[in-house]
Amino acid sequence: MKFNARLMWFLTAFYGVAAGGYMIWYANTHNGGFEPIASAAIGMLAVMSAFLAFYLQMVDKRQGSVPEDREDARVEDADFEVGYFAPWSWWPLFLGLFAAICFAALAVGWWLFFIGFPLALVALIGFVFERSRGQNAH
Amino acid sequence: MATATQTAQSTSMQKKTKGRIVVDWLTTTDHKKIGYLYLITSFIYFLIAGVMALVIRAQLAAPGLEIVQTKEQYNQLFTMHGTIMLLIFATPLFAAFANILMPVQIGAPDVAFPRLNAIAFWFYFFGSFVAVAGFFTPQGAASFGWFAYAPLSNTTFSPGLGGDLWVFGLALGGFGTIMGGVNFITTILTMRAPGMTMFRMPIFTWNTLVTSILIIMCFPPLAAALFALGADRRFDSHIFDPANGGPMLWQHLFWFFGHPEVYILALPFFGIISEIFPVFSRKPIFGYKTLVYATIAIAALSMTVWAHHMYVTGGVLLPFFAFTTMLIAVPTGVKVFNWIGTLWKGSITFETPMLYSLGFLTTFIFGGLTGVILASPTLDFHLSDSYFVVAHFHYVIFGTVVFAMFAGIFFWYPKMTGKMLNERLGKIQFWLLFVGFHVTFLIQHWLGVIGMPRRYATYLPEDGFTWMNALSTAGSAVLAVSFLPFLWNIYITYKRGEKTTLNDPWGYGRSLEWATASPFPRHNFTSIPLVRSESPAFDLNHPEFAAPEAKADVKKKG
Repeated sequence: MKFNARLMWFLTAFYGVAAGGYMIWYANTHNGGFEPIASAAIGMLAVMSAFLAFYLQMVDKRQGSVPEDREDARVEDADFEVGYFAPWSWWPLFLGLFAAICFAALAVGWWLFFIGFPLALVALIGFVFERSRGQNAH
Repeated sequence: MATATQTAQSTSMQKKTKGRIVVDWLTTTDHKKIGYLYLITSFIYFLIAGVMALVIRAQLAAPGLEIVQTKEQYNQLFTMHGTIMLLIFATPLFAAFANILMPVQIGAPDVAFPRLNAIAFWFYFFGSFVAVAGFFTPQGAASFGWFAYAPLSNTTFSPGLGGDLWVFGLALGGFGTIMGGVNFITTILTMRAPGMTMFRMPIFTWNTLVTSILIIMCFPPLAAALFALGADRRFDSHIFDPANGGPMLWQHLFWFFGHPEVYILALPFFGIISEIFPVFSRKPIFGYKTLVYATIAIAALSMTVWAHHMYVTGGVLLPFFAFTTMLIAVPTGVKVFNWIGTLWKGSITFETPMLYSLGFLTTFIFGGLTGVILASPTLDFHLSDSYFVVAHFHYVIFGTVVFAMFAGIFFWYPKMTGKMLNERLGKIQFWLLFVGFHVTFLIQHWLGVIGMPRRYATYLPEDGFTWMNALSTAGSAVLAVSFLPFLWNIYITYKRGEKTTLNDPWGYGRSLEWATASPFPRHNFTSIPLVRSESPAFDLNHPEFAAPEAKADVKKKG
């Protein structure tokens, strides 16, 4: 996990340097001018990478060493519980269909949106609460 | 173990009525089935967009033809050809391969969010349908080119429902792609098997991770741009109004997405190739770590090169973007060096996946070289929007996506279905495809150099483009024919292909998918082998040549 945080820090540094380099380059060739578009675009990539890097670093600190990062880990070192995987679900199909109706409605006309939106809302609620067993279950 | 699998299979066979099978596919949360859905859907769109390309080529076969009734229809054809090939075929094809293989390669039972995975597919499925549904409206589909430059894409110059559906359909599909990317990143970071450290992951998995990071960086700007364009078209906003610099804003937003998108298409297919070369050269991949670092470098650089699509606007900092664009050739060259290093002195055999991988290598290097030419602003001013560019990106995209797709399909078909595809038909298909492709597109470089612009519906005999276009069209016919052996191959394999009982039918498979049954069991593994190197299946199947760490571990255990 350490490497993942480092990877994102590397991207942060790269985009930081690229954004800075771009601004200086632009200013030098345009009499001290400032070009907001590329400066903002590359600069914000640095912000996003820093955000991810920080998160990954925090998780890594909290979690300590995990079997998937140890070179000598054996299968039995992993968590006994792999997690819960939904075996099947109808909701993704319906949510996709009704969301598509809503999106198409933006192109076709509001009347279709009023049909699609309630259906999509039902599908969304169904999707979120399917197999939910409340806050303290498991 | 074997008996357990057999009983599981026979019980599942007993209750499979036709309705049950359909319901299984519609409600599936299994990453492999979702991957197959992606694969089938995107391949069908590939064939549709391929037919569009054939009509385009037929229209250009000779000067003054009127194969398509109106020029507007011609515009719709090239717009939808580009849209489908890039966003509805190639991007989901990445999701297809990543879904089918990545969880198996890291030894996980499924992806981290199986239902999110299913939603990502259905958003893509229905979103794509909305985007192409313009063909069923009276005015037809979108016709402003797949990069929808403002102000051409506004309602004054491109009225009609087709364009609106295009905008919102692609937005929905884009959300599906973002969800898929998030899912892949989470899966790779959290669900690796014990011992599967980051630097033991197969290159394909690495490339999936890096591609997914690119997706979450560049698809949200596309969604923003599409919604803004939708607001302009439907709700009379003026975001891309030329009066306030809209055209440049659109180009920046679009290419900020569009260029990383090219690498989203390329990187996973580089990964497929990196899986195939070692297996058929009987050598480990040459320079594993440099390949990983090259991938990361490509990803980092690819976000800073977008304005090379905008040289001719005169509104971008030319030297900066020329520098970054040329710089990105370096890590790409490192990759090519690694692939050649893998082949070097290997005991190479030429099965179909290997043929396609070599086809990829030759084709992609052509495209990469013309890319360096286009990266130079002075040359680009002459070549921009000519057939040279068309030839360049077809070499890059077709070379990576289509060649590597067939390589991957032939390579992993026994894993997906338990049956090997026919080798003889595969080789016939490869040579038809290879020759057809190069006859179609190589000549287009010269067409561009003598000045044929892209997207023109026809040309005059005096232009001197005639014989080159005729040759290109003839090549496209060969290219089209090459798909018949493939479809026939799929059919006969389905009808009377022999079941393979081997875990590793190619004999020298390296990553974890070759250590489990063909086809995959429901949650991928009945038992996970020890992971001590980046080729655990090879260590397992060939203990005498296993990696030193794996040998030491076996000795310790006694």
